[in-house]
Amino acid sequence: MAAVKQTVEHVASLEKYKHGFVSDIEQDFAPKGLNADIVRFISAKKDEPQWMLDWRLDAFERWLAMDEPDWAKVNFPRIDYQDSYYYAAPKEKVGPKSLDEVDPDILEVYKKLGIPLREQEVLAGVEGAPRYAVDAVFDSVSVVTTFKKELAQVGVIFCSMSEAIREHPELVKQYLGSVVPVSDNYFACLNAAVFSDGSFVYVPPGVRCPMELSTYFRINAENSGQFERTLIIADKGSYVSYLEGCTAPMRDENQLHAAVVELVTMDDAEIKYSTVQNWYPGDPETGKGGIYNFVTKRADCRGDRSKVSWTQVETGSSITWKYPSCILRGEGSSGEFYSIAITNGRQQADTGTKMIHLGANTRSRIISKGISAGKSSNTYRGLVSAHPKAKGARNFTQCDSLLIGKHCAAHTVPYIEARNGQSKFEHEATTTRLSEDQLFYAMQRGLSQEEAVQLLVNGFVKDVLQELPMEFAVEAQKLVAISLEGSVG
Amino acid sequence: MSLATALRTRDVTELPGKRDEAWRWTDLRGLIRVLPAPSERFEGDVGQGPFDRLADDHHVLVNGGEARIDVAAGKKALAVLRLVSRGAGAHASRVTVNLAAGARLRLLESYESDGASLAQTTLVIMLAEGAVLERIVLAQDHEDAVSVSQADVLLAPTADFGQTVVASGSRRQRIETVVAHPGGRASVRLDGVYLLDGKRHSDHTTVVTHTGVDGVTNQLVKGVVRDQARGVFQGRIVVNEGADRTDARMGHHAQLLSDRAEVDAKPELEIYADDVSCAHGNTVGAMDEDALFYARQRGIPEAEARAMLTEAFIGQVIDRIWFEAARRVLRTWAGKRLRG
Repeated sequence: MAAVKQTVEHVASLEKYKHGFVSDIEQDFAPKGLNADIVRFISAKKDEPQWMLDWRLDAFERWLAMDEPDWAKVNFPRIDYQDSYYYAAPKEKVGPKSLDEVDPDILEVYKKLGIPLREQEVLAGVEGAPRYAVDAVFDSVSVVTTFKKELAQVGVIFCSMSEAIREHPELVKQYLGSVVPVSDNYFACLNAAVFSDGSFVYVPPGVRCPMELSTYFRINAENSGQFERTLIIADKGSYVSYLEGCTAPMRDENQLHAAVVELVTMDDAEIKYSTVQNWYPGDPETGKGGIYNFVTKRADCRGDRSKVSWTQVETGSSITWKYPSCILRGEGSSGEFYSIAITNGRQQADTGTKMIHLGANTRSRIISKGISAGKSSNTYRGLVSAHPKAKGARNFTQCDSLLIGKHCAAHTVPYIEARNGQSKFEHEATTTRLSEDQLFYAMQRGLSQEEAVQLLVNGFVKDVLQELPMEFAVEAQKLVAISLEGSVG
Repeated sequence: MSLATALRTRDVTELPGKRDEAWRWTDLRGLIRVLPAPSERFEGDVGQGPFDRLADDHHVLVNGGEARIDVAAGKKALAVLRLVSRGAGAHASRVTVNLAAGARLRLLESYESDGASLAQTTLVIMLAEGAVLERIVLAQDHEDAVSVSQADVLLAPTADFGQTVVASGSRRQRIETVVAHPGGRASVRLDGVYLLDGKRHSDHTTVVTHTGVDGVTNQLVKGVVRDQARGVFQGRIVVNEGADRTDARMGHHAQLLSDRAEVDAKPELEIYADDVSCAHGNTVGAMDEDALFYARQRGIPEAEARAMLTEAFIGQVIDRIWFEAARRVLRTWAGKRLRG
């Protein structure tokens, strides 16, 4: 009967977005709006050195001169950048803190979300269960980072960005903005001016990071934007796997999440970056509320034979607009992009990747699975390009779209630019609906329509789910089911 | 923003450039700083066109002008349409093709130029119910010419439209076909071949919008690019809400035969209906070395082996032409180009 009970619970939990609660936590806000003083305020709040403030102010100046881009296949009312808080942080005690000093209300939030912040809780699981270190970002600041000591023993630096600016300025100076330049695009530039926190990872040469690293982002405060910045550097011959997850309360107004993620890999290094994005998608009927997820993610494979693998499961956000990319500079470097993007209700997603082949014998692989249901719109947009020097570049792209319902839309917009005669690019794409025959077969075997759809959808996205770290794969599979709830029949 | 407007108003800022999404790989604005003077009337002999011998009904526009081809209900026709540019001036042409219900037309169209001309051609093609049109285009422009051809095709249900464009490129060459597809068992084939060398550029752009149920679109474009030439393919298939049971296939395959050649492709699907079957495939790469090795091992000299393999590669597109005589002309033309 366990299965029955589980189904009942499952169905009950499907009723609405289950991470949509608001926590009443005392918070510090910057005054509403955006100007140079706010940038100074954020920098001062974080006790930043002068060089960091100058960097921010320079970014802000440039941002003022830029225009908001409008080329994506998404529609939304103009964002009023003055009607938002750019800094919101839980009120905290001064001085260095241990987990015991963290506001119990915040710990409660993470407990509710199922994120283990206490190291012993992580360890208390089944023997042999994989462990992972967590950096928890609450609105604008990182509240706690776990397993720091253990990681430090092998030389891995895993901390919040603010801490990295204080403790490891030389690394931050060297790499920050080197993959995504300050004025790369409108939202990245805004992020450079007002970014509040995020994770910083440095893996020294030859080290295989002993556990999965993860960041959990939570937007809580009303009318606030989240602008985090993540920087991961994998030095020669190292390996790290990094996961990020995100949720937000249900609100009627839209909130902006404009993050920047920069990855750098040296010779023979590898970074595996997985995202399970479940921001509040807005009201499925009216489309009111939800997060605008405008994120710039880019990896620079600087070293020879280095590798970056992006895996993303995008189920939330009212609007998703992001293209995790790889610049394949090092000889024989490779990039991978595995994506599941699901839109339901009135969600809009314009997502994909860019694989820029600059070095010889570089390889890339793109597997994108888009599912649109309800009245949503789902676009795959990708670029694969080979520079004249990228002899022997190789790309394989497969992007499939699945349509569920009469009023949804699915688009595929690949750009292929081949600039030398020794590269080989292959691209294939299909757009179909769930096969009636397969549905019939599954239902004939005794599955309900809902279960049959889930089975087929899971089969459709299998190629990508396989790429996720174990513990996330299970989560993601459930998330896929939840996101499509109510889309059939 | 269009070349037609720029020519009419004589305003270079009206030219489309790489900042316009649809022209990102065919930048006219960056290329043309000053519009050439309007072309003068040409009274001389323009010589033979590539399809002259296949038909008696000839429509020849030299340095611009207008033409109209009508086919009455249930009638069959075969027509040659030549768009000729002489000299280095700028001009625009306008052609209307109208097929009444059940009419059938084979249209043999060619673009011919002999210098640095700037030519724009607008075609409006209308097919009533049950009409069948096969449009065969050979664009053999001069390497210094800039030529843009834009066809608007309006189909009625049950009409059948087949098109094959064969192009050798020019300084900038664009052949654009926009099809309003009503579904209702109307069928569209939009094929293309580009064979480019030197510094030539050729752009195949197509947009097919399915607005009703039961539409079929089939597209196969292949290209071979040598030297520093650049091939561009932009294909878009749109399926509007309600245009169920649409079956659309798009394929673009290109061979790059030199290190400095370039191919840019954007095969797009824009789908707003769920009961559809749409797919596209795109490959870009070098010639198959194994096939080349096999041919050479059989004693075929390398140059001939390459020409033979390329001929076979593009032959798949030429073979889809319905009109056999035109197929022969194009096969011969391609063979000469590949061995020239």
